[in-house]
Amino acid sequence: MLRLVAGRIVSSIGTLLFVGFALFAMTRAGPGSPARIVLGADATAAQLAQFEQANGLDRPFLAQYGAWLSDILRGDFGRSFVTGRDVGTEIVNALPVTLSIVLFAFAIAVVFGVGIGIAAALRPGGVFDRVSRLLSVVGLSVPAFWLGIVLIRFVAVDLRWLPPGGYAPLSAGLGAHLQTILMPAVSLAVYYIAVLARMTQASLQDTLRGDYVRTARAMGLSSPRVVVYALINALPPVINLAALSFGYMFGWALIIEQVFNVPGLSRALLNAISQRDFLLLQGIVFLFTIIFVLANLTADLVNRVLDPRQRVAA
Amino acid sequence: MRGLSSTLRMIDWTGWLGAGIVLVMVCAAIFAPLIAPYDPVALSIEDRLLAPDMAHWLGTDQAGRDVLSRVIFGARASLAVGIGAVVIGALIGVSAGLFAAYKGGLGDQIVMRIVDGVASIPLLVWAIAIVGILGVGPVRVGPLLLPNEIKIVLLVGVLFSPVFARVTYAVASRVVGADYVRARWLQGATHWDIVSGDILPNCLSPIIVQGTLLVAIGIVVEASVSFVGLGVQPPQASWGSMLSDARSAIYSGEWWLPVFPGLAISITVIGFNLLGDAVRELFDPRSEARTLVA
Amino acid sequence: MSGTGRMEGSGTGGPLLRIEGLRVGFRSADGGVVEAVRGVDFSVAAGEAVGVVGESGSGKSLSMLAVMRLLGSPARTTGGRVMFDGQDLLALDEARMRAIRGRDIAMVFQDPQSSLNPALTIGRQITDVVRAHRQVSGAEARRIAAESLERVGIRDAGKRLDAYPHEFSGGMRQRALIAMAIACRPRLLIADEPTTALDVTVQAQIVDLIAELRRDLGIAVIFISHNLQLVAEIVDRVVVMYGGKVVEDGPVEAIELRPRHPYTGLLQACVPNLTGPVGPLVAIEGAPPRLGRMPQGCPFSPRCPHVVEACIEEMPPLEREAELRFACWRPQ
Repeated sequence: MLRLVAGRIVSSIGTLLFVGFALFAMTRAGPGSPARIVLGADATAAQLAQFEQANGLDRPFLAQYGAWLSDILRGDFGRSFVTGRDVGTEIVNALPVTLSIVLFAFAIAVVFGVGIGIAAALRPGGVFDRVSRLLSVVGLSVPAFWLGIVLIRFVAVDLRWLPPGGYAPLSAGLGAHLQTILMPAVSLAVYYIAVLARMTQASLQDTLRGDYVRTARAMGLSSPRVVVYALINALPPVINLAALSFGYMFGWALIIEQVFNVPGLSRALLNAISQRDFLLLQGIVFLFTIIFVLANLTADLVNRVLDPRQRVAA
Repeated sequence: MRGLSSTLRMIDWTGWLGAGIVLVMVCAAIFAPLIAPYDPVALSIEDRLLAPDMAHWLGTDQAGRDVLSRVIFGARASLAVGIGAVVIGALIGVSAGLFAAYKGGLGDQIVMRIVDGVASIPLLVWAIAIVGILGVGPVRVGPLLLPNEIKIVLLVGVLFSPVFARVTYAVASRVVGADYVRARWLQGATHWDIVSGDILPNCLSPIIVQGTLLVAIGIVVEASVSFVGLGVQPPQASWGSMLSDARSAIYSGEWWLPVFPGLAISITVIGFNLLGDAVRELFDPRSEARTLVA
Repeated sequence: MSGTGRMEGSGTGGPLLRIEGLRVGFRSADGGVVEAVRGVDFSVAAGEAVGVVGESGSGKSLSMLAVMRLLGSPARTTGGRVMFDGQDLLALDEARMRAIRGRDIAMVFQDPQSSLNPALTIGRQITDVVRAHRQVSGAEARRIAAESLERVGIRDAGKRLDAYPHEFSGGMRQRALIAMAIACRPRLLIADEPTTALDVTVQAQIVDLIAELRRDLGIAVIFISHNLQLVAEIVDRVVVMYGGKVVEDGPVEAIELRPRHPYTGLLQACVPNLTGPVGPLVAIEGAPPRLGRMPQGCPFSPRCPHVVEACIEEMPPLEREAELRFACWRPQ
């Protein structure tokens, strides 16, 4: 078991090194060197060379990548050539906003998705079965950012229940905080409610037909207990999917943040793009990639840990 | 093998609805210049922000452009990116999967580790970042000048490829090791015979199913990238950029500006999802639980 | 009345279980009902072991699932009574039926591989059964579970409670299921082909175990099997089913000596006798009737070597002759 977990972790680290390299190479493939971008079109060759030497940009490419990685390992994302600000600080300032929206959306998606899925599986043809079927058509198809726009119109502009955008940190009070992240989180969550409901329903329907469920009933176990028997076997693929979803949510959160004008990582990333601030961009994208790889790793490990057959075999 | 007519009878109405939507959207994209009532980029100051009426069925935007015409032309960008990315992804993925399964040993290991690596890349973040780095203008790669749409197609295609690589690899490595394939080799079958006769037919159905569902995801990705201004560039029409332009209308009340491009995306995505589910039901009804998530 | 509320015999000395005119049907695609069990009658006395024998599709398993009220859609009971302790099980509400399952009547199934919950330990699954029927502490439930496991011949039972099903062999899993079934000391154990999925050597052990439990604990047993020879080793009486009906019923010695129904005779001949001299292996020609295609007369008539016109036209009644009951126009 331990060996298996260690193996998966090592391979995830390998993946990150490889993908980080691709990212680093890409940022250097764009038009204009960092020196040219910072110093402008008028800079002389000597000025450019001096800038590159001062910032270590004249070193071999791999050496630069290695230095960047080892700095990140020590928590140092570098200092932006463009703004002169510390990249780590900028990320730390913006991350809580994004994290708050994604975590809230994730909680909504898990509670409603799994809840609807269970209810639908227990009563085929019932209300929740129909809700789940509707969701799996509509929820999977409505883009989150459009849903956000529609929500702003109805909930904020017409009904005036919530502010149309902006962000209040948790320090401004839980109520104010939730008011600003509720609509972004709901917009983001709907797709994943649909995905999780569909998976939960299919998986639970499958295990409810299992022979061990019949055995449990033949031994006189109560209905809730019988459902629990089916559910513990139905959940691993659901948890696996939930972990994957968590990784994907960060990507769509970027678009949602634009819709609701929230000062999260999305704004930082688009600023980095417009100012051609490579270090900031690399830092943010690498952070997203780490989160994504961790989500994948969790999904993978969760499946193995939850399955007692794998637990022993490994 | 079932006959074609009995196969078609197994598709329920949702499948036909999906196929119908896809067909309509593909036709709209191909014949856009013939169908669209107006020039999608022609400005007309006196026709600004007209509500839907008989002349402009879906109204006009801030620059007086006909929304219906822009929605029809927008189908081009969406479908080109969605379908193009899936085709590229399938080409790369199937080749990689075949190569790895066929080659075995170190080649297998290297290719499939690269596939794992590519699968670990969060699609949307990278699409935004890379287009951001390279700029939205055309990029010169050797003798080729790649417009922004092609960049996005290639990028999304590469990031889609692991899905196809894994499907192909699973089928191909099973087939390559099978006794009957060894027997066919002994009978003088060529590699191409094995690939085209035994491997590809067996992975075709999952490839078609996953491909159809991935087109839907590709369409939303294109809309999202265009929404943040890094996709299709003005004045060309794209559903994502139309929604971006429509954001100010949320407050001023020109409801038709955000509603119709959004509906266009949703309906198209529903179409591909329904079609994909119907095809899966047809080929592989047991795989209901496996959901493609993005 | 005892504190646990266990139903006591009504004191009439009648059978423990009496199945009367039981019918099970499937709702067919065109809205009609196709009957798979077509009026089954037989009874089981307290402590008696009865073998229910027939090919797959004879309705033997469906009948027993109907007795347990465990039929899943689209199958459902369409008629008859199941008298247990003077009560009609088919008329009980679900809560009272649930209290009877596992406590008064328990059932084990064919495939021990899939009949245990793979995600829970053996001990947890047995204690859950104990605690579903008895108000006992966790420690007490665990003690009862260990005792049950020991009872079915699993060594080191206390430790094995913490094992998961996949750590058990097929035979041990079936033992664990039987341990679950007897944990509350039911008065009737229904075993549905409990050995079919097991190796031949293990089969004999499980059969012996069931015989032993019956002897030591006085539990009545209904042993469902397609194998007449196997069942004959441990039961007092055999009920032969075909086409959803009982075609022969009687003491095992009488049936073994001289089966009257041609189908029983063929069943007897088609299983090789491992201990006796090697004779020709006979298989019954043809296939059992398909649901909804039931012949008008005797369901066995299309395959019967002794068929006459009457067999095709009319179903023979189940008639008693000495200790036997059989349904045949031309008994052997």
